Amino acid sequence: MDLLCHVRDFVLAAAEGAGEAAKHGEGAAREAALGVQAFKRVGYLWLIPFFPMVGAIVNAVVGARLQKRFGKSVVTNLAIGAMAAAFVTAAVAFVDLVGQPEHERLLVNHLWNMFTAGDVQANLTFALDPLSMMMVLIITFIGALIHVYSVGYMAEDPDTWRFFAYLNLFVFSMLLLVMGDNFVLMFFGWEGVGLCSYLLIGFWYKDIDKAKAAVKAFVTNRIGDFGFVLGLFLLFWALGGQWEKRSVIPPHESRWALADPAHLYEARAEAGTTYVADPTLSPQTPPATYAEVEKLATPEGWRPGASIATRDGGKVRVGPTLSFRELRDQIAVESTGVKNRLTGLTFFGMPLLALVGILLFVGATAKSAQIPLYVWLPDAMAGPTPVSALIHAATMVTAGVYMVARLNFLFALSTTAMTVIACTGAATALFAASIGFVQNDIKKVLAYSTVSQLGFMFIGVGVGAYWAGTYHLLTHAFFKACLFLGSGSVILGCHHEQDMRKMGGLKKYMPLTEKTYLYACIAISGFPLANGFFSKDEILWKAFDAGNNLADPALGKVIWLVGWVTALGTAFYMWRSYYLTFTGEYRGGHGAHESGDAHGHHGGLPHESPRSMTWVLAALAVGCFLTIFLGLWGPAGVEPVLERWLEPVLAPSHALVAARGAHEGPLAEWLLMAASVAVAFGGWAAARALYKDAKSTVPATLAAKYPRLHRWVLDKYYVDEAYRKTVLAAIWAGAKACDLFDRVVVDGAVNAAAAVGRFVCDVDGAIDKYLVDGAVNFVADGALGFGRALRRVQTGRLEHYLYAAVAGALAVVLLTFLVQ
Amino acid sequence: MLPVLNNADSLAYFWPEMILTAGAMGVFLFDLAVAKSPRRILWLTVASLGVLAAAALATSHVAGLSPTPIGLFNGLLVLDPWAVFFKYLSWAVTALAILIAGPSLEVASERMGEYCALLLAVAVGMSLMASSTDMLMMVIGVELVSMVSYALAGFKKHDRKSSEAALKYVVYGGVASGMMLFGMSYLYGLLGTTNLVGTAARMNAQAAMLAQAGVAASVAGAGRVAMVVAVVLVLSGVGYKIASVPWHMWCPDVYEGAPTPFTAFLSVGPKAAGFALAVRILYGAMSVSGGADLATAVADVPWPQVVGVIAGLTMTVGNFAALNQTNLKRMLAYSSIAHAGYILMGVAAASETGSQSVALYLVVYLFMNLGAFLVVGIVGRLSGSESIFEYRGLSARAPFAAVAFAVFLFSLTGLPPLAGFVGKFHLFKALVDRGGSWQITLAIVGLLNSAVSLYYYARIVKAMFLDKPHTEERIAVPASYNLLLGALVGLVLVFGVYFDGLRQLAGSSVVLFGHS
Amino acid sequence: MSPSPVGPYLPLAVTLLVSGLMAAALPVLAHFLGPRRASKVKSESFECGSVSEGSARQRFAVKFYVVALLFIVFDIETVFLYPWAVNFKALGWFGYAEVAAFAATLLVGLAYVWKKGALEWET
Repeated sequence: MDLLCHVRDFVLAAAEGAGEAAKHGEGAAREAALGVQAFKRVGYLWLIPFFPMVGAIVNAVVGARLQKRFGKSVVTNLAIGAMAAAFVTAAVAFVDLVGQPEHERLLVNHLWNMFTAGDVQANLTFALDPLSMMMVLIITFIGALIHVYSVGYMAEDPDTWRFFAYLNLFVFSMLLLVMGDNFVLMFFGWEGVGLCSYLLIGFWYKDIDKAKAAVKAFVTNRIGDFGFVLGLFLLFWALGGQWEKRSVIPPHESRWALADPAHLYEARAEAGTTYVADPTLSPQTPPATYAEVEKLATPEGWRPGASIATRDGGKVRVGPTLSFRELRDQIAVESTGVKNRLTGLTFFGMPLLALVGILLFVGATAKSAQIPLYVWLPDAMAGPTPVSALIHAATMVTAGVYMVARLNFLFALSTTAMTVIACTGAATALFAASIGFVQNDIKKVLAYSTVSQLGFMFIGVGVGAYWAGTYHLLTHAFFKACLFLGSGSVILGCHHEQDMRKMGGLKKYMPLTEKTYLYACIAISGFPLANGFFSKDEILWKAFDAGNNLADPALGKVIWLVGWVTALGTAFYMWRSYYLTFTGEYRGGHGAHESGDAHGHHGGLPHESPRSMTWVLAALAVGCFLTIFLGLWGPAGVEPVLERWLEPVLAPSHALVAARGAHEGPLAEWLLMAASVAVAFGGWAAARALYKDAKSTVPATLAAKYPRLHRWVLDKYYVDEAYRKTVLAAIWAGAKACDLFDRVVVDGAVNAAAAVGRFVCDVDGAIDKYLVDGAVNFVADGALGFGRALRRVQTGRLEHYLYAAVAGALAVVLLTFLVQ
Repeated sequence: MLPVLNNADSLAYFWPEMILTAGAMGVFLFDLAVAKSPRRILWLTVASLGVLAAAALATSHVAGLSPTPIGLFNGLLVLDPWAVFFKYLSWAVTALAILIAGPSLEVASERMGEYCALLLAVAVGMSLMASSTDMLMMVIGVELVSMVSYALAGFKKHDRKSSEAALKYVVYGGVASGMMLFGMSYLYGLLGTTNLVGTAARMNAQAAMLAQAGVAASVAGAGRVAMVVAVVLVLSGVGYKIASVPWHMWCPDVYEGAPTPFTAFLSVGPKAAGFALAVRILYGAMSVSGGADLATAVADVPWPQVVGVIAGLTMTVGNFAALNQTNLKRMLAYSSIAHAGYILMGVAAASETGSQSVALYLVVYLFMNLGAFLVVGIVGRLSGSESIFEYRGLSARAPFAAVAFAVFLFSLTGLPPLAGFVGKFHLFKALVDRGGSWQITLAIVGLLNSAVSLYYYARIVKAMFLDKPHTEERIAVPASYNLLLGALVGLVLVFGVYFDGLRQLAGSSVVLFGHS
Repeated sequence: MSPSPVGPYLPLAVTLLVSGLMAAALPVLAHFLGPRRASKVKSESFECGSVSEGSARQRFAVKFYVVALLFIVFDIETVFLYPWAVNFKALGWFGYAEVAAFAATLLVGLAYVWKKGALEWET
């Protein structure tokens, strides 16, 4: 009944929201491309993260009992149901969003203000624009599929309820991250997914290595988060926090600007103050720069929450903000002058925007596993394979890419930041791919492949091809999820064997897994038959065409070359993994689990996975195909669907990036495309020659010939060891110093405080015992007999009498005030 | 304005106290002289009574010296009818306490001299309390009474209860005096003088000055808080002396442990002095001239109401706590607490008739309460016990004592035609005369309390007359005790019927400095 | 700020608080910061260089207290006598009489305790 009421309320609220939005639409004039972002208020977006949250809570709180009483199906169905509901709601939102005019595609659902402190206003507000819509659809769709897959994969784990609670919690956090309308919510999600990642990597926490991997992931992410937060603070500060000492502003008023100049003039006239008009600032001309806005902003002019009028009648609030929309409006609407101010600011001699961009990107390098903070992701493969697919391939690791795309208007302003991002991405892509060449663990190969592909995405968003990077994010989510789940299927089929050298010939035993894996390999290695080609090619082309978007026009070409080589490598190692796994003869022992543990009943040869898993693989493979069309160039230069879809989000940076581009001709584009196809074939051919059916002896020969090089690459260039020797050693030294300080100073102080505390407690106890208890007894026994109680108060203990005397005197003092 | 004499001239008005002081020292020396005599107790009793008689004569002499109140020792003391009244009362209480001590057997003969001498010293203290017009003198008076009382409470050296009583009394009294002194220091800070004369005017002026000088409201408020705290703390000292809630808790323990003659003294003497002081401070010092109307309390300190609440609480606590007592001394202790509450009603009335009723009731209370303790002493003298058990069938074992005790108890209840009724009637009348709502409420509370008190008084009467004794052994009552009992019963009965003289005496005594 | 009756006493409260904290903190700090190496010699009571004998927790005979009390009484008498002696001339015979009364009072007490045997040591 409650639920029904709730739904009714929700529908009413949604209707109301729609009505309001309609009114708003009338009021807000249509902006040109770079006007104020119009939006529609809706009332149901909160449901999307709400369902997984409920699923997580229910499973966490009563999951164990449910599972015991009714079996696992209740737990799994609950989690999957939550995902399905979230997906359906997201689909509804999608329809709603599509129904909006192109430049008003922003759904906002403001729930409440979490806190307001000075200029910091943290709202619990969800927003969906085309970009986050895309993310939400990926998360809920692929997430739902992976939930289904997990049912089969985790069938034998006794802690199913815990797994699904974590998974749902993860989805909830991820949705917060992408749906939050402000940095605060994004950061909540950012931290939440980190937590869930930690929980899921260490799901089998009894294995010390897995627990260590979890801790590593968490700690590495924390380092990145620190950079992210620093960048955020710096940005907030730059937007007019305490940037300069502004004594004219009454401290209690918000530093939010300000009346539009027309109002400013009126206010002064009304106040009767003399004002010598500044000829350069006529009321008709909005101030051009932030500095001038500030010049106008004498105390009379400051009105909390007032706005600057834009040329076309909209209003922009100027000042520090955490909201993405308000930030976008400030920067996108030129007349506010914010853009000029920000680009002009320096921080200790460094361009502020570059600094902000790089710091935010540091957060992204941890979350999205880029150099130098990528080290946790390969280790994260210790988690269950569905987790690797969902978190460490499809969703969480793309958060950094999403963040850069979300803030495209900010990053596009600093070519320095863009260069750093693109170069880091390129370096990571190549570096990780090279490690992938020689790995024997199928999941490790995929992990390095993921790192490498994320590098591609950062090349995309780094060179200003935000849509291309985002498109690669999308395609990667499908094919990498498919690959991971395929590998999971293989691992399960081979009785938890992850070493490819012990596989082989699985084509025979696992036909469906083999087919989907094959198709995903086609996609990732860049054959034009699947989605990967289109997204990767677009990125490489944009890198080649980057021109002045990077610090040096030649850099774009270099990055293209690196990407091109990486693409070759990608094709090679992916096909290597395919051939090693699926062709030739099965090399694994028969019955890896003779010992008769949980999987003992499998025994013998590999086997195909249950349907709930293979169907998911099939669905993802189909997705790999269908998503081609999102990035396909239409006839006669019509933009790809996804590019058009994302256009409103990327508009603020669009013109800028385009203007700085190198504008290579279409011929170059075709040539590059051909080169891409060529490397795909090249990589495939090489891998086929070396690894098909495990016949060739060349790999072994090579490894034997260059043992040190092989070892070096196999051991991931000893980066972990280097970190241990340098960073960790330093941290250890610091930790030891802290420990010493802790033991000597802090413990001493704590003990001292404890002693004082004990003393106070004794005194308090005495008061309690003698005074309070006495009073309580006095009152409590009133019913039994006032006289007897009075007698009990007369304890015979002198200290009680004295307490009573002093307390009585105080009571009389109070009484004196009472009787008047 | 009160005429004030210097130290040398004051001595002429100070004869009673000087006689008592010299007498106390004389009794000490006399004790040494009669140490070997078998009639030591008799000699000492006679000597002490002689000193008291001399003091009484001297009192009547100095009272006749000045028809109007006169300040002594540069304003530390005052000689006015109120002081004279309480001096007489003090001498009388002291005389009775000395009289009943000898036969009680609780005071050993070799220590009788100390007992008498110390009591004489207490008498001086009570006199100082009743006649002090300066806070310093108040402290000295209270301390003199207290210090000596500590010694007397622990007079039974090898009795654990007595030692415990003395120790508790010392500590409690020390804290109470400390609180009072603390309050006085505040008052001195606020008013700039320790003299009580004209306190009300000074307090009002202080409040008005704060209000008119335009000082911040917070400062004025702080001044007021300080004033209230000061007054309440000073009242703590007084409340300790009269054993009113919440400063009553020492009372049962000390009464129980102290030797019965001294308990009898304690329940009347210092209490009376305390009331003299209370009336002097509250009605004398802290009310505006004439004192008829205190509707607007002094400097926003609504002390009549506060005292009224305290009175109600005191009588309620005392009576209810007495309900379950089986030890007669403890029961009488709670009874004396309850009576402090009754008498406080007269103080709370804050009127001339109120003060008059206080004085009147204290006289009546002197007779009936001392009488009651005398009976307790008689019974305890033989059995060594104060349990109600001993009082079963007392009518058979000591008929006269039983009858007398019944009279005293009914008088304490306030039943006509006994003196207690007269006293209580005047207290209620004073209160009802004021006519305010809270005064009427308080009077009703007092009446209800009297009804409650009947239960525990009647319980003893029932035990004495209706229950069977646990032993048929008769209790030998000394003739002097019977004589004394007879006298006290007679007084209680006479004052129950013929109380006009007493009322006039009390009425004429309500002449305090500043009030005529 | 609304006028508060305790406002002016805030500094007082702060002073009380600070002094209380100081009083509490110093011994506590000393307790925790000071090194404590107990040794037999250290834990012995300090006896001005001479070797200590027996426990300090001894019961004293009550006669010590009587003597001590008497000592204090007469000590205070001295305290009163000094200012009188300094102002002897100014106070004149009246002052002399007062002091004589005072001394006589104490004399009576002395005589009494003497006679009572309180000054007898061996009883």
